[in-house]
Amino acid sequence: MDEVEKKVVDLIAEVLVDVNKENIEPGSKIVEDLGAESLDIYDMIALLEDEFGLEIKDEDVEKIQTVRDVANFIKAARAAS
Amino acid sequence: MPTRVVVTGIGLVTCLGSGVASNWEALEAGRSGIGPITLFDTTRFATRIAGEVHGSFDPQGFIPEKELRRLDRFQQFALVAAAEAMKDSGLECPPANPFRYGIVVGSGMGGLGTIEIGLDVFRMKGPKGTHPLMIPKVVANLAPGLLSIKYGFKGPNFALVNACTSGASAIGEAFLMIRSGRADAIITGGTEAVVTEFSVSCFNALRALSTRNGDPEKASRPFDKDRDGFVIAEGAGIMLLESLEHATKRGARIYGEVIGYGATGDAYHVVMPDPEGEGAYQAMKMALEDAHLAPGKIDYINAHGTGTELNDVMETRAIKKLFGKAAYSVSISGTKSMTGHMIGAAGAVEAIYCLLAMAKSVIPPTINLDNPDPECDLNYTPLQAARRKVEYALTNSFAFGGQNASLVFRRLD
Repeated sequence: MDEVEKKVVDLIAEVLVDVNKENIEPGSKIVEDLGAESLDIYDMIALLEDEFGLEIKDEDVEKIQTVRDVANFIKAARAAS
Repeated sequence: MPTRVVVTGIGLVTCLGSGVASNWEALEAGRSGIGPITLFDTTRFATRIAGEVHGSFDPQGFIPEKELRRLDRFQQFALVAAAEAMKDSGLECPPANPFRYGIVVGSGMGGLGTIEIGLDVFRMKGPKGTHPLMIPKVVANLAPGLLSIKYGFKGPNFALVNACTSGASAIGEAFLMIRSGRADAIITGGTEAVVTEFSVSCFNALRALSTRNGDPEKASRPFDKDRDGFVIAEGAGIMLLESLEHATKRGARIYGEVIGYGATGDAYHVVMPDPEGEGAYQAMKMALEDAHLAPGKIDYINAHGTGTELNDVMETRAIKKLFGKAAYSVSISGTKSMTGHMIGAAGAVEAIYCLLAMAKSVIPPTINLDNPDPECDLNYTPLQAARRKVEYALTNSFAFGGQNASLVFRRLD
């Protein structure tokens, strides 16, 4: 995992009460594998926006499935700015 | 015969400690839980003291660490106090017929602390910066909501907002629901976490709080001539009420029976009680009539006793009017002298103190009662706890807004 992926894992682990950090992998699907529900997703978005200083729009969220997708989104947003 | 209602589990989180045992130890020793405020910077505040619940309030780890950030402090207190009460009760959860099990929890101000912080962020970042968990952390009814999720109780579920009377009103209404057959058991009580900068500044603006900052343990002085206002505090008191039949069937330990509830409104003033104590008198009278009990039978009154001139004199007048000569033989105490005033949790915590006084045959003291106000001339159990068998106990709660509630308990041997 690279630095961005590691940070994303940390934040997801902070939100999902029943999930151990060790069980989160870059390929983990956030809803299907990790059991996130809508409030968890909103919570994650707020944390990610704070941490990385960017805005994640609801339509962007629809394209995101895995932990790696989140990291790639962040990297792309950073490259574009 | 109407359904009889008993208490089978109790739990406490206060500035005296987390858990019933540590609370009782402090009460019996007459130890104050008041200290300097650490939850925020008090530099510019007239009042810099409070009854704070300290860091280790969840020593048994009832709330997973990760969940804490999703819960306002008033919700955390309710969950921890309820965990103690439910463990104490031994009731199996979720119950087989969950719709017969309800939850009624009082809170005066809900997640005020979350609103304060959330509003700071909102002013800085605008609507986009608003956190998605604000609503569930703020609303008062999430205390009973969270408890229903945790214990699987699906019967009547609501919060009761009644300022300083919230906790007592919640227990009273829960009692009526079980007595009238709408539920077999109800988790009830009160919770509050308003040692926050905005709340303290609001109460300071009303000139309601003690400013005895240099001597925090002496600051809460119910019925004492040298009092200068109440001391704000935080905490929760939660109990499990059950019908006697339900409790007996499962062989539960019974702390005592709830036998009377009185509730009135002063129709007088937004923050001052009726100085003649008519509303307080009528609430106590209603509770005793409900219990079919003569005033002289009461052994112990846990007074509202806030340590404000308006309350202490009014409450004393109301007790004298109702009890007549017996007013001088009943043991009274103002336990807020040790705990401070937990607003919406106070009535529930003090109801639990009544049950403990019955169980231990000990009256907790009113500490700091060095020079009684001449208008307050009853037996407030000054300075030291007293031994006395308590068969019947009454607790009073009175609110800003004029709401009054009294509860009467009976010891069952």
